[in-house]
Amino acid sequence: MITEFETRLLGIMMMVIMLGMGASLTWRDFLIAFRKPKGVLVGMLCQFGIMPLLGFVLAMALDLSPGLTVGLILMACMPGGTTSNIFSYFSKGVLALSILMTTVCTLAALVMVPLLLEFYSSMAGLSSEFKIPASSVAQVLVVLLVPTVLGMVLRKLNPNIGATIELLGGFMGIVVIVFLVATWVPRNHRLLAETPWPVYFAAIGLGLIGMALGYALARLLKQDNNRSRTIALETGIQNGPLAVLIVTLSIAATIQQEVLLIPVLYSLFIVLSSSVVTLFFRRWATREALARDRLKAGSLLVT
Amino acid sequence: MKNETPFDPTHSPWLATYTSAGIVAKLQTPQHASLAELVQERCAHFAAEQAARRLKHPAFSCVMPNGMNGRLSFSQVNAQSDAFAGYLRQTLGLKAGDRVAVQMPNCLAYPVAAFGVLKAGCVLVNTNPLYTESEMVHQFNDSGATALVVMDMFADKLPGVLLRTGVKHVVLARVDAFFPVIPGAVIRGVQKVWSRVLPPVTVPYVRLAQALVQGRATLVATPAKTYWQDINHDHLAALQYTGGTTGVSKGAMLSHGNLLNNVNQMLAMGATHMEEGRECVLTALPLYHIFAFTANLLGFLSIGAHNVLIPSPRPVQNLQRAVENFPITWMTGVNTLFNGLLNEEWFTAYPPRELKASIAGGTALHSAVAQRWVEVTRTPIAEGYGLTETSPVVSFNPLRGTPRPSSIGIPAPGTELRLMGDDGSAVAPGEPGEICVRGPQVMQGYWNNEAETAGVLKDGWLATGDVAVMEPDGFLRIVDRKKDLVLVSGFNVYPNEVEDTIAQLESVLEVAVIGVPDDKTGEAVRAFVVPNPDHRDQLTTEQVLAHCRRQLTAYKVPRSVVLRDELPKSPIGKVLRKTLKAEAQAQVR
Repeated sequence: MITEFETRLLGIMMMVIMLGMGASLTWRDFLIAFRKPKGVLVGMLCQFGIMPLLGFVLAMALDLSPGLTVGLILMACMPGGTTSNIFSYFSKGVLALSILMTTVCTLAALVMVPLLLEFYSSMAGLSSEFKIPASSVAQVLVVLLVPTVLGMVLRKLNPNIGATIELLGGFMGIVVIVFLVATWVPRNHRLLAETPWPVYFAAIGLGLIGMALGYALARLLKQDNNRSRTIALETGIQNGPLAVLIVTLSIAATIQQEVLLIPVLYSLFIVLSSSVVTLFFRRWATREALARDRLKAGSLLVT
Repeated sequence: MKNETPFDPTHSPWLATYTSAGIVAKLQTPQHASLAELVQERCAHFAAEQAARRLKHPAFSCVMPNGMNGRLSFSQVNAQSDAFAGYLRQTLGLKAGDRVAVQMPNCLAYPVAAFGVLKAGCVLVNTNPLYTESEMVHQFNDSGATALVVMDMFADKLPGVLLRTGVKHVVLARVDAFFPVIPGAVIRGVQKVWSRVLPPVTVPYVRLAQALVQGRATLVATPAKTYWQDINHDHLAALQYTGGTTGVSKGAMLSHGNLLNNVNQMLAMGATHMEEGRECVLTALPLYHIFAFTANLLGFLSIGAHNVLIPSPRPVQNLQRAVENFPITWMTGVNTLFNGLLNEEWFTAYPPRELKASIAGGTALHSAVAQRWVEVTRTPIAEGYGLTETSPVVSFNPLRGTPRPSSIGIPAPGTELRLMGDDGSAVAPGEPGEICVRGPQVMQGYWNNEAETAGVLKDGWLATGDVAVMEPDGFLRIVDRKKDLVLVSGFNVYPNEVEDTIAQLESVLEVAVIGVPDDKTGEAVRAFVVPNPDHRDQLTTEQVLAHCRRQLTAYKVPRSVVLRDELPKSPIGKVLRKTLKAEAQAQVR
């Protein structure tokens, strides 16, 4: 269970995260994104095409209970988190693309998440008590838009404040996960021990398989290696804290625990798996850079 | 070279152009006796304007890539540089004329330190922060610098350098100097923990902030004016090191008069597009380089502009927040910077709205870049020409009138200029000859190096080593550096011309052309081409050659084309042909 106090705290942290995300943005960024929308469109396709489908398929294949299924589908429908931007930075990815994808997806989530959730919940044949009402998801997202816009305004007014909360927001993304680990895990270690492997597989696989598919689709759509890696991270890393917040706000207390299990597990493991993937990507990027250097030395002479 | 010929206006066909371009032909005598007085008087004037609310911007802002910024007002510039002058003279006990090295990227500590040195009556030795240990050792020993103001990020080389030089005092500056507390702490934290760019400092040092406190205390007994009131135009202001081309770098002796006059020459050039107290200039080029030092630091300060300093302009994206957050009206840059900006979507989609004009220098501005710049920003870009030895402006294109592609314009007011042939006499009109310059901006000579001085400076005439042709109306076109000429079977090929031709291709991001040894033709032209990432995998060496064959005479067409990911560049972004040559030579062996 997550207490009333923790839910509020989570809400406030989420506000800080969104404030930071807003501060990383200007209106121009959006306008520029729509001038040359291909990268962002590919990203959106991964985010709202691949991920929810993957969540649904995993839930069906692993034959999860309705409570776990709704948790997994919700997790899969979430937009990318701001933590993905930090990982993208460390993996020598295309930071601007990462930030833009997070933002555009978060805005699009307003419409996409309720729709997708409705669609896949019906597909999974969930009974009404397990359905997350579209209106409450939309409400949460709308409420979170307020700090986002506020962040944008603050940046416009004072770049120093903007840059500071931008950093703060990025760190808060990690703080929330640490907070979850510290408060939730000790109280639920029994539950964790009893949790069967398919649940772990779903929670970890959603992120890892999502990254692999995101990379493959991006390559297929002619994005270069570096952009594809960025899109992969962005696809696999979902906004875990947001899912937790939505569940605590909109699911009846009696079944909350079960629904929360996958979002919380996902949030814990995504930090580990994206760290590993980031290291791998980083080496990959370095290797490519070295190969380019060799090409230079070997030089294509024409005589 | 003919000497003592009186200045003959009939040999100066450009004089007629001044009037039509709105340029005052007669160079104004500088109204200040020294750079120290210029800084003091101008900053006091604009501080008063600020107090009267007629001026709203600070003198300097420093903008980090994430948008965090700090600022220095005009009155702070005066107060802090006075304090630093006091520290140098009283606390450290330096004497007038002592050399002080300043080694920093652009940051708010730079104007404080540089103006402090000048107000102390000492000689400023601008040092590139990216210098290697041996380059630092050479420069500090050659200049005889006894004090060094250095950015803490570059302090790792100090132990070795101090042992082998006469530098006795080290003042450490930080990039977030004069920033507000929280952004400053964040930048500091990021530098320490995240990017780990702060090496441990193992030599004795004083922090700039402490030095300023100590220096300020001395001003009560001895005001800073004491140190500079007797300085006049003939006194040495700066040793500006240059000429790695011949191997060893030499210190060009620039006097207060040289720099003051060149500031006026540069302002005369821009006057039609400048308004006192209303400009905001983007300073992405390093201030330790003579171009930004004279134009941005001194020139724009003297008209009360808001100077936006960028600590690191690479990658070009680092400029985005500065361009978004400040109403930039003027820009100075080099070809690579303008080209870089034109390849950034955030820039081309939203070019700075308030921009009035830009000046390009340092290296040839490719005509394709110039043309696109005008299309994108709808403001003029004027290419100027100069060298460290001339403080640096020699010539410029008027901002008014039709732009003349590939021209370096007409000589600055007060400058005498001739094109000389190898035989030592002026060349016939329209013929290429070496640019020789005489004027108030020409250096006093190379520091402690009479042999080198005698090689370039005779009777006040400076031989620049650059070959140019002059059009009938006095506009000059550089054909190339004398030593970069490629001699193909006895024909002169000017790399600039070939580069300009290749740069016309849209799929080309950057290009450099050099001569490589060749058994048949003596030398052969080789082009190094960086493909534009937006046109990935579309550029072939064959395309480049085909384009050259269409545009150039046969002997000018490159024998070989090499595709690369990047070109070696100097800190201000000049493409280093000599590095490419060395690479090519190493390959031959």
